[in-house]
Amino acid sequence: MSTTQTATAPPDLSLDAPTRRATSLWVKVRPVYPFLVVMGLWQLAAMQAGGNYGLLFPTVDQIAVRAWELVTGPLMRALAANPNLPLLDYFYYLGQSPILWHTLATAWRLPLAFALGALVGVPIGILMGRYAFWESFFVPLLAVLLPIPALAWTPMAILWFGLGDLTVIIIIAFASFLPVAMAVWTGVKTVNPVWIRAAQSMNASKMTIFRTVVLPGSLPMIMGGMRLGLARAWRAGVGAEAFAGIRWGLSAGIFNAQEFLDIAFMMVAIAVLGLFGYALEKTLFQPIESRTVIRWGMMEAIGAQNKKA
Amino acid sequence: MATKIQIKNLRKVYDTPERRVHALENINLDVEDGEFLCFVGLSGCGKTTLLNILAGFVEITAGHVMMDGKPLTDDYDKGVVFQEYALFPWRTARKNVEYGLEIRKVPAEKRKQIALDLLRLVRLEDFADFYPHNLSGGMRQRVAVARALAFDPQVLLMDEPFGALDAQTREELQELTVDVWQKTRKTVVYVTHNLSEAVYLGTRIVVFLPRPGRIREIVHVSLPRPREALAPEFVAIQQKLDDLIREQ
Repeated sequence: MSTTQTATAPPDLSLDAPTRRATSLWVKVRPVYPFLVVMGLWQLAAMQAGGNYGLLFPTVDQIAVRAWELVTGPLMRALAANPNLPLLDYFYYLGQSPILWHTLATAWRLPLAFALGALVGVPIGILMGRYAFWESFFVPLLAVLLPIPALAWTPMAILWFGLGDLTVIIIIAFASFLPVAMAVWTGVKTVNPVWIRAAQSMNASKMTIFRTVVLPGSLPMIMGGMRLGLARAWRAGVGAEAFAGIRWGLSAGIFNAQEFLDIAFMMVAIAVLGLFGYALEKTLFQPIESRTVIRWGMMEAIGAQNKKA
Repeated sequence: MATKIQIKNLRKVYDTPERRVHALENINLDVEDGEFLCFVGLSGCGKTTLLNILAGFVEITAGHVMMDGKPLTDDYDKGVVFQEYALFPWRTARKNVEYGLEIRKVPAEKRKQIALDLLRLVRLEDFADFYPHNLSGGMRQRVAVARALAFDPQVLLMDEPFGALDAQTREELQELTVDVWQKTRKTVVYVTHNLSEAVYLGTRIVVFLPRPGRIREIVHVSLPRPREALAPEFVAIQQKLDDLIREQ
């Protein structure tokens, strides 16, 4: 397949070098420019708002100043008190920044809870894919549970597990377990039967076929389920953090900031939430996929279509 | 020549709620050791069903299948080449060929050696570390042939392996298949609907008729190799086969 693509690719006539350079710059800017447009519109609208509305619609520069203050506030105050601060103290005071602590709180809770959910979801999905008994047991349960937003369980979880981290972790784990189990089940069920037949023809045992054919063969589906699971974990986490009475966490911070009308803080925390999810995608899923399913030609790299065009 | 596989009074009936299909009726056939046996016939004549029975994928309804005088078991060593691309995408060409050897617990060094030898046999030694999706359709089927031969099976079963390829690639692979067969002296059972292919490859050609699936005739081909598809004798056999498969 890819050999034919290479063969039919247009020849590289290097006459239009300047145009190509401009194009490659555009390719780099393209993902960013929608954000710039929205920020520009926000700025225009916020500049029109006055009085109390000004408090509710801070301009982009006000948000930027507040973001800087959130990160460097403790350091700046310490510097004001003692201009000859030793270099190591810079790090100490930077480490005092509240947004950092909120981020760290979310950053350990969410991946841990997601891993727990996946750890339960993968074996259940495998059981469902392999044994008709477990399939008929779990499919109706999951089909009913899957569409229920995890947030709906939060009040009950708070009553059972109390206010605090445990409740948040349980809600996130539960939210991510469902799509992961469904995806593993579908993946195991839809492995290309000719691969299984080929392994059978070479006298592979059922267990060997499962390990060497079904698992790698269903990896594209499993990765998709992990993605979906993480997205749901993310959403559930934002909701649960807000209600579980915890102090640290990006979304806990957002809800606390509501009481102080601190719109800028909320915007900064929301931006960090977005960047955090993007970073997880970039550092977790993309490296795994490019080493496995994309390398094997079982899945196209995201954006591969765009690059070709 | 010794008889490798003996098929006696074989019958295969598929029972579905709506109807009963006589896929194979009263099949008697001896597969000789080391021969290249082709199955031809129109679709629905049972040629693929009989191959699947020999591969152990399908149970028989009545009759006997004996290999070397003993009843056929599911786990005898057979190499199967499928019409669809059945290579494992997550394994390189060499690792695909090694799969059957891993099942048989052959040590890694030995596996690698055998796999590279076989890839050389199918003229793909330079592509050992390629993943299947980076190989053309013809190359993939060559790897599949190498994979089927890796554990030195008693028979090689091929189910229209080159049916999805273009005409040039197909001819190239037919020539390669004869070469591989002459070098390995395997017993080959080869299903095809392409009569010219059967005459080019086979030492004998079994002609099937449909509804119920049955054997019409077994045609011997003793033309010298390499065979010339435009030679009058070649065309005459092909014409004869064409008349036979259309009988009612």
